[in-house]
Amino acid sequence: MLLALSALTVLAVLAPLLARLGLGRELGYVFAAGFAGVAILIAFHVPQILDGGTVETSMDWLPSLGVSFALRLNGLSSLFALMVLGVGALIMAYCPRYLSSHDPHGAIYGLLTLFAAAMLGLVLAADVVLLFVFWEATTYCSFLLLGLAGGRATRPARRALLITAAGGLALLVAVVLLTVVTGSTAISDILADREVILASPLALPIGALIAFAAFTKSAQVPLHFWLPGAMVAMTPVSAFLHAATMVKAGVYLLMLVSPIFSGVPAWSALLVSIGLTSALWGAFMALRQHDLKAILAHSTVSQLGLLVAAIGVGTPIALAAAMLHTIAHALFKATLFMLVGIIDKEAGSRDIRELSGLWRVMPVTATMTALAGLSMAGIVPMLGFVSKEYLFQGIFQADFAPAAGLVAGSIAVAASALTTAYGLRIVYGAFGGSTHQPGLYEPSPAFLAPAAIAALAGLVLGAGIDLLNPLVARAGADVVPGEPLGAFQFWHGLSPEIVMSVIAFSSGLMLFLRRHQVDRLLDRVVVPDAGAAFDRAHAGLIAFGYRVGQPDRAGGTMSHLVRPLGGVVFLAAVGFVTLRNLPPVRPADTVGDWVVVGLFALGVAAAVVARDTLAAVAALGFVGLLMAALFVTAGAPDVALTLVLVEVLTAVVVVWVLRRLPARLPTGDGPRLPWSVLLALACGLAAASATYALTGRRGPSTASSFFLDNAEAATGGTNVVNTILVDFRAMDTLGEAVVLGAVALGLLALLGSTAADDHTPEPPADADHLSAAASVFLQVSARLVVPGAALVAAYLLYVGHDAPGGGFIAALVAGVAAATHQIAHGRLPRWSRPELLVGSGILVSLGTGLLASAKGEAVLAPFKLPGLDAVGVGSALLFDIGVMLMVLGMLTAALDRFAARTHRPESSRVHP
Amino acid sequence: MTAAIIVGLLVAGGVWFLAQPGLLRVILGFVLLGHGVNVLLLASGGLDRRRAPFVGDGAGDPAALADPLPQAFVLTAVVITFGVSVYLLAILRAESVEDPDVSAADDMDETDEPRAGR
Repeated sequence: MLLALSALTVLAVLAPLLARLGLGRELGYVFAAGFAGVAILIAFHVPQILDGGTVETSMDWLPSLGVSFALRLNGLSSLFALMVLGVGALIMAYCPRYLSSHDPHGAIYGLLTLFAAAMLGLVLAADVVLLFVFWEATTYCSFLLLGLAGGRATRPARRALLITAAGGLALLVAVVLLTVVTGSTAISDILADREVILASPLALPIGALIAFAAFTKSAQVPLHFWLPGAMVAMTPVSAFLHAATMVKAGVYLLMLVSPIFSGVPAWSALLVSIGLTSALWGAFMALRQHDLKAILAHSTVSQLGLLVAAIGVGTPIALAAAMLHTIAHALFKATLFMLVGIIDKEAGSRDIRELSGLWRVMPVTATMTALAGLSMAGIVPMLGFVSKEYLFQGIFQADFAPAAGLVAGSIAVAASALTTAYGLRIVYGAFGGSTHQPGLYEPSPAFLAPAAIAALAGLVLGAGIDLLNPLVARAGADVVPGEPLGAFQFWHGLSPEIVMSVIAFSSGLMLFLRRHQVDRLLDRVVVPDAGAAFDRAHAGLIAFGYRVGQPDRAGGTMSHLVRPLGGVVFLAAVGFVTLRNLPPVRPADTVGDWVVVGLFALGVAAAVVARDTLAAVAALGFVGLLMAALFVTAGAPDVALTLVLVEVLTAVVVVWVLRRLPARLPTGDGPRLPWSVLLALACGLAAASATYALTGRRGPSTASSFFLDNAEAATGGTNVVNTILVDFRAMDTLGEAVVLGAVALGLLALLGSTAADDHTPEPPADADHLSAAASVFLQVSARLVVPGAALVAAYLLYVGHDAPGGGFIAALVAGVAAATHQIAHGRLPRWSRPELLVGSGILVSLGTGLLASAKGEAVLAPFKLPGLDAVGVGSALLFDIGVMLMVLGMLTAALDRFAARTHRPESSRVHP
Repeated sequence: MTAAIIVGLLVAGGVWFLAQPGLLRVILGFVLLGHGVNVLLLASGGLDRRRAPFVGDGAGDPAALADPLPQAFVLTAVVITFGVSVYLLAILRAESVEDPDVSAADDMDETDEPRAGR
């Protein structure tokens, strides 16, 4: 089973490669052989299945959620699996003659095979989560295959995707609810919990969601319109996905959950009413069409409706009939699609008003079409006859309401009459009448063979129903546990069903014979267009989204920020009203603190009122240094040190940028000013009150005590802040350092283009701003500062675990060294290659972490290095070196890129 | 109380800058907001214990040590804020190179910088 699934997947993945082997169109036969081989793998298990066994296999997938990659082959799944693979093999063998040599063979075969794998996985899945994943996979394969039809497929593909994906979401919710109710994701457990599910208040939503998902996939009214639209796809796709298999996924799902819901009146009522409406509506719409493919598409809606209704009835006969009809439908509908594709290729049209008399030139094609058409119309002796007889018998058993069986049976008969009428219309329209195109000839046997095999199978299996009986009976045992099904009989005497069939056939024949009157009548009927309604709703939704997002498309930051900032103020107001009985504030303020507050007020005010760019930046630098002072007084020397270094480097970077900027800040609009002030004050007040209300009112937190108590014992370091960074929360630190590495790459990408036209080392672009004396002075001092700073950085890195320092700080000191070198010499030191620094930093940090896991510890767990432990070098230092390299990479990237000479095209310079 | 006032000042200043035109002011506002949040983080550990969190021999009473966790947060936040500010500055610079109107719109133009872009 797993082998079968993997074989198909591998085949799909290999498709683009196989397409280059030079087989051309013949490639399809390779895939047909592959499908047949996989079918044999499955068939190999069938004897065991027929004996009542199941084949199961399971691998852990998400063990923490109890979800496993579990597959099981029972009667129901082998029935569907063999159908998928059998029809698939025929379609694959049909493709070589249908496709032309310039079609994208790799994509077509790859996606078709991938779809088959998804469909196989869907029917084999023994876990509801896995079932959902495969269900979604079929949706996306269908979307991509539709997309191969090009631009005209845009709207149909979008409709199909949105509707079936909505069904997928419904299925996901149902899966989650089922898991919540039963506590298991295994399908066998869920099916065994029928009583629990039905007793829970979630039974109604679960049933409704599952039915909705099935209705979307199996194109039931009023969501059916995506299926006729999907006929823009090429014929093999229509035949395989949109007739024989994918649309049966909904039917499969309904059968799968039948043991839970069958017999529940609401379930029966829903399925029977929707199913029969679809059956009638699809058949009625099919009769209105002239395009052969459109007729077949609406016919599929109709036939699926009959299947859904039969499942809704839920009696053993009805369910078994639905299974049999699923097979019959796959055979005759795939045949008809393949033949329509042949007619389209040969005669150049699919319109029955243009085609006529093809039986004289294409007698074999005509015979095969007639066979499949007879099966569709349910006429003796085809398989479709047997399955329809039993469908009638099953639907007649509907008992969810008084006289339900009678009403349902009558509607089924009416739908069947319409089916006969359009079936005859297909056969007569294309092949009957006078021959308009005498130059046509029979397609090659290889083109015809796949369709012929399916058509003949429909003929043989009618009388040879005993061949199918064991498997259908076994599948029935999965769906209706405990009640053995009677075997189907080809002919079971004069029964009510035969009478129903005769009524259906004769009314259908009448409709066909009087087709001209019927056509005139049908043309007068105005039918609602569900697809257009869907498009309107979709467009309305998009327009609504556009209106919701309108403010975010305005220019300026404020229109984006005003709502979140207003939200902050609102939250603070809510807190102000609701927060009561806060613990008392623990006294913490010193006189020095109040001095700092005053300085802060000065600094912020100076920055705010500054009209001059440099003044504003200087004021901000002052605020930054105040922050450092605050951190020193608050007992955070590492943070203070970091901040001072950051301020220095910011100053360097800003100076490079300011060279290019106007000296004065742009002036604001007058009228907006009061609002900005108001909003700023409100936000400031909100932040201040929140800080006052929510901090400084409790003793040490448990986290704080934990780190203080355990840092030294667990990591060997005494600088607790550093141990948190490199040991306890090393994964966070790694992530943050990688963010800085990404900034480095972003800088190279963003500013790289401005300097891309000369890669030669930059001449000191700004050294020539300096006087010669100043330059010499700088260069001499740089000779002292750079090695000195490098030593300091190395020292800070080394002691970081126990004293102020660490990777971040060391990198910033090294960055200062690099900046000094750059200012003095006009270029960065040789060792500063941003991408190398970032790359090696990631390798070192990650390598250290993975080394720990190689030793059997958790990733990034601390470990000792042999021989080096004595001098205080451990994994923490290695990790910190990596962090330092990444941060340094970002710094050098910034220095390098900001100092790079910008090349402005001469033409764009503005000289007022 | 003092921490709350500082947070309020920084946030008010930051929001005011964000509300003003020009990317440079946005960057300044971002830096101020970053400072404000860092003070808030620090205050969340409680400012009544202010001894630097170094443990080991002679560290003294552990009850007087400051909460190390907010400090670790703030330390990385400072570096990350720096990285983001640098990135924003890079955008500003890329803009000012690509769009001559940015500098031409104001009272300073390229003539103030005679040898740039030789």
